[in-house]
Amino acid sequence: MAEKPITGEKRVFMTGNEAVAWAALAAEAEIMYGYPITPQNEIMHYWTRLAPKYGRGFLQTEDEISAGFTTCGGVLAGKRAFTATAGPGNILMQESMSMAEMMRIPTVLVVQQRGGPSTATVIYSQQETTLTCFGGNGEGFRIVYSTSSHQELFDYTLKAFHTAWKYRFPTFVLGDGYQAKMRESLYIYDPVEKGVPLAEATPLLGKEGMPGVDREPTHLRNTYNTEEELLEVISEIVKEYEQIALEVIEYETGGTEDAEIVVIAHGIVSRAASAATKVLRDEGLKVGYFRPITLRPFPANELRKVAQKAKKLVVAESAQGQLLKLVQEAIYGETVPLETYFKPGQGITGEELVDFLRSKIVQ
Amino acid sequence: MENKVEQGQGQRERIVEAYVGEYASGKSEVALNRALNLVKKGHKPVTLVDFDLVEPFYTLRPLKRSLEEKGVQVLAWETEKTMGLGEAGMVLKPEIRWALKREGDIIIDVGYGVAGARKLRLLEDAREHPELRVFVVINIARPLTSDVKEIVDYIKTLGTVHGVINNSHWGDDTTIEIIQEGAKVVTKAANLLGLPVIATTVEQRFSQQIANYDLQGNPVVFLERQMNRYYW
Repeated sequence: MAEKPITGEKRVFMTGNEAVAWAALAAEAEIMYGYPITPQNEIMHYWTRLAPKYGRGFLQTEDEISAGFTTCGGVLAGKRAFTATAGPGNILMQESMSMAEMMRIPTVLVVQQRGGPSTATVIYSQQETTLTCFGGNGEGFRIVYSTSSHQELFDYTLKAFHTAWKYRFPTFVLGDGYQAKMRESLYIYDPVEKGVPLAEATPLLGKEGMPGVDREPTHLRNTYNTEEELLEVISEIVKEYEQIALEVIEYETGGTEDAEIVVIAHGIVSRAASAATKVLRDEGLKVGYFRPITLRPFPANELRKVAQKAKKLVVAESAQGQLLKLVQEAIYGETVPLETYFKPGQGITGEELVDFLRSKIVQ
Repeated sequence: MENKVEQGQGQRERIVEAYVGEYASGKSEVALNRALNLVKKGHKPVTLVDFDLVEPFYTLRPLKRSLEEKGVQVLAWETEKTMGLGEAGMVLKPEIRWALKREGDIIIDVGYGVAGARKLRLLEDAREHPELRVFVVINIARPLTSDVKEIVDYIKTLGTVHGVINNSHWGDDTTIEIIQEGAKVVTKAANLLGLPVIATTVEQRFSQQIANYDLQGNPVVFLERQMNRYYW
């Protein structure tokens, strides 16, 4: 392989899309399969500018259906392969990602959410939460990291390659158009030098030795003949998914130890929640926030503990209740009052959350 | 920008400048501040051209009205009046094609990287305009223009260029060190290319730490950041 793309640690100023491309380079991704769609385009643009310099590959496919399946193919051949998309492209990739769930193919897919339904806006939303977590015709056996900053886009894209290959579940990095296009400073680094783990990529098919003689033939399947067979397979995946969830789940909290009112938000909206928490706590108000970083698997037990102590919960999101569904499932049975702050397709600022929360405390 | 350009190039009757550079290098911020400074100095008319055809994020458009209130003529679409933002591409606002034929000072913000510089030829008279100066905006915190070699290689892809601007920064996390380091690297690259460093552009909040010249002797121009407040 050609020279390393990053040596040591370097502070840079870039867009979120570039941060993803650099992270994939740093993670030693070997090939990107892609089809253009706003707002993820610069992931492709920068990957294609950088890939030749570092001996990496790129294939522009005819559509997102193909981009998803070729990513699966690259991974089956043992390549650290990835793709990126948004909105309608994310819909088209659900078939291949469902296959990846069933065949346990460690794909990495970066989603930069745009407005929906359909083409809607190219700008921003959190309306691909449900789709990215549960878009397949199955149970959602996947890992979804919801990032909130450029540093996290870099860190979690790196991590996605590790997680996917370590646990062999398709892994998603869920960003959005704001994170994609915004410019921020961040540190980019070489994971090996920093001691950040990176699971080995090995071929799933075409291994050494004569199948049936030297080794068991590899038979990765997404089709089963009988209901009994399928139930057995799914039950095994469920067991494994629940087990790895304990290691994979990540969340962030602020002020929840004594908070009476707790805002629940994910992705970039959690930055507004964190900012609002700080402002109101400085005024002496008992406010906190809970942010699931993994949306799949969801930090349900951790949120339930917070819900049991709080007097009120507020779910804030740039969608009409997609995070709310995850929250309600997680804390089913708790009786704490819950309010919502929904702005599908539009951003939420710290200032407006401060106003909203203040009005809730006064009551 | 004032010192070297106006003195070094003799009696320029009017200012005609195009700002090019790597994606997210700060072209729009530098260009709009230049236009505002010219208005403040009494130049009239001053026309600012938003020449961005692809994925217009952080363009001048949302600032159009406020800049016009401050006396700058702005040639730009208004976001609500366009269709097909993003991958559908953009239609050039017809009057922009004729911008160089206008009277007075003309500042052109040429969006979107290498392709951006090439598309200058879409403007009438751009090839042989006697007054047109093309300045490259460089931020060394951008990974593809972070050292002398990268900057030299990059500028060589841009065609005719008359000068380089050091706009090195880390956004809200900027320090005086990155500004001065940028001055050092950009000056070396400019020397290798035989180009002048037109200015080091610095956010106003650093005015206590840097004054008329950077450590390389390049003139300092202060910026009032506006682009960070607008998205579309």
